[in-house]
Amino acid sequence: MAAILQVRNLVKRFGGVTAVNRVSLSLEAGKIYGLIGPNGSGKTTLFNCITGIEASDSGAVGFKGRRIDGLKPHQIFHRGIGRTFQIIRVFPELTALENLLVVTTGDFAPARQRAEELLRFVKLEALADEYAGNLSYGQQKLVEFIRVLMTDPELILLDEPAAGVNRTLLNELLEAVKALRDRGKTIFLVEHDMKVVMGLCETVFVLDHGEKLAEGPPGVIQADERVIEAYFGR
Amino acid sequence: MKHWTRWFPPALALALLLLSVYPLWATGYGIRVMLQLFMWIALAQSWNLISGLTGYVSFGHVAFFGMGSYATAILVVKGVAWPLAAVGGGVMAVVLAFVIGWPCLRLKGPYFAIAMLGLNEVLRVMASYFEGLTGGGLGLSLPTLDASVRIYYAMGLVAVAVTGLTYLIVTSRFGLRLMTIREDEVAAEAMGINTFRYKIYAFLLSAAAPGIVGGLAARDMGYIEPISVFPLVTTITMIVMVLFGGKGTIWGPVLGAVILFTFQELVWAHFPHAHQVLLGAIIVTVVLVMPRGILGVLQQKYNLPRTV
Repeated sequence: MAAILQVRNLVKRFGGVTAVNRVSLSLEAGKIYGLIGPNGSGKTTLFNCITGIEASDSGAVGFKGRRIDGLKPHQIFHRGIGRTFQIIRVFPELTALENLLVVTTGDFAPARQRAEELLRFVKLEALADEYAGNLSYGQQKLVEFIRVLMTDPELILLDEPAAGVNRTLLNELLEAVKALRDRGKTIFLVEHDMKVVMGLCETVFVLDHGEKLAEGPPGVIQADERVIEAYFGR
Repeated sequence: MKHWTRWFPPALALALLLLSVYPLWATGYGIRVMLQLFMWIALAQSWNLISGLTGYVSFGHVAFFGMGSYATAILVVKGVAWPLAAVGGGVMAVVLAFVIGWPCLRLKGPYFAIAMLGLNEVLRVMASYFEGLTGGGLGLSLPTLDASVRIYYAMGLVAVAVTGLTYLIVTSRFGLRLMTIREDEVAAEAMGINTFRYKIYAFLLSAAAPGIVGGLAARDMGYIEPISVFPLVTTITMIVMVLFGGKGTIWGPVLGAVILFTFQELVWAHFPHAHQVLLGAIIVTVVLVMPRGILGVLQQKYNLPRTV
């Protein structure tokens, strides 16, 4: 199957720090991919470069066979890449429902119907008209998660979806991610929780100091000497 | 708070009806006072459109007022009928907003606020400099005309129109998108919202009414000069009215304008030097005690819809 996302030799520097250093990777449609690495290894920066929030210094990003590097974030979103953030970024003074509606285009009625379905799906329908800023951390996380589903993107980047979410909620979230995969969506997630990564992902990429250290199935990655060294030292 | 929503529309209709027949028995002074109140509602409401909704604070919004004043005055002197000239003032203000907004709104953050502060100063100096067109520091005198009652209706119409426009915007997806810029611009971009385009739209809309009322005010005063139509204190008053009433709401700017203008007429007129001190004190108090303004506090407390 052809790659849905292709990153080639991507470089991003911040002053003297090379946050992402010649990273290449390729994602196939309909699979769940993981991105791990110690703090500061460039995971979020890589996500930001893919979604256009940061401009890369060199290299290329291709989505469905067309280059997307250099496009604005909103253009990349409309090509079919949605994302969530490591630090929650709901719109606090919009209600939960409005947070979902605002990202839609076209007819209002079907958008509203979909928003209500998604709120029911994460059991937040009773809080639809509550300002998002008044919701708990976990609830805000769910709102952000379903917000990305409103427009049905083909590739979904999740930046630490499990952080700060309780176990019950987390299991539901992971089921939702699997269901998305079964519907043909591609998921790419950054996660520190190894149980989540190992249980969910088909392929895992490891970043260290901005460079791709390893790539492979979870079992192989877990046993990889270099990965263990990157996390725990020699 | 349910009964609130029931009596509000008829009360509003009654108020509008009373205001529309007010000139039948009003004194000349009363009409002048009311048309100024309408002007302040239109100005505060316009500032709210860009700064209350998108969070991009304009420290130079009086620039559009001054632009409208000069454009209208010049057109009137050239023989154009004043209502048409005032519309011309609105158009010129929108053109100015486009010229300044196109480069400045591409940037995220505080650059826009600083650019707007500079814009007003630059325009004031330019109005003094281009004597051939503007009369320079001597100002421009318009032909004498008693049109207070007609200007009263024109100002009222603009105030109603901007408030109506705000209602339409705040209750639409367009308005929600403007608010996402205030809430989190990076997230808005990442969720597919072309924030630059929406900021430009809001800015152009927010410049039109100040341009028109600037023109109407010029016709009403009959004489304008650079310092009378580009005063920084006008921008500050707009800001205070909106912050006091509730930024980002529909009725907050109206409420803020009515309360502060009434206060100004009753109290400050007797203590002219206390004017700026009091404005400053209100800013500090509002920011510290109720940063959301009167309506903002009520909305939060009772979880009211944004339309109240």
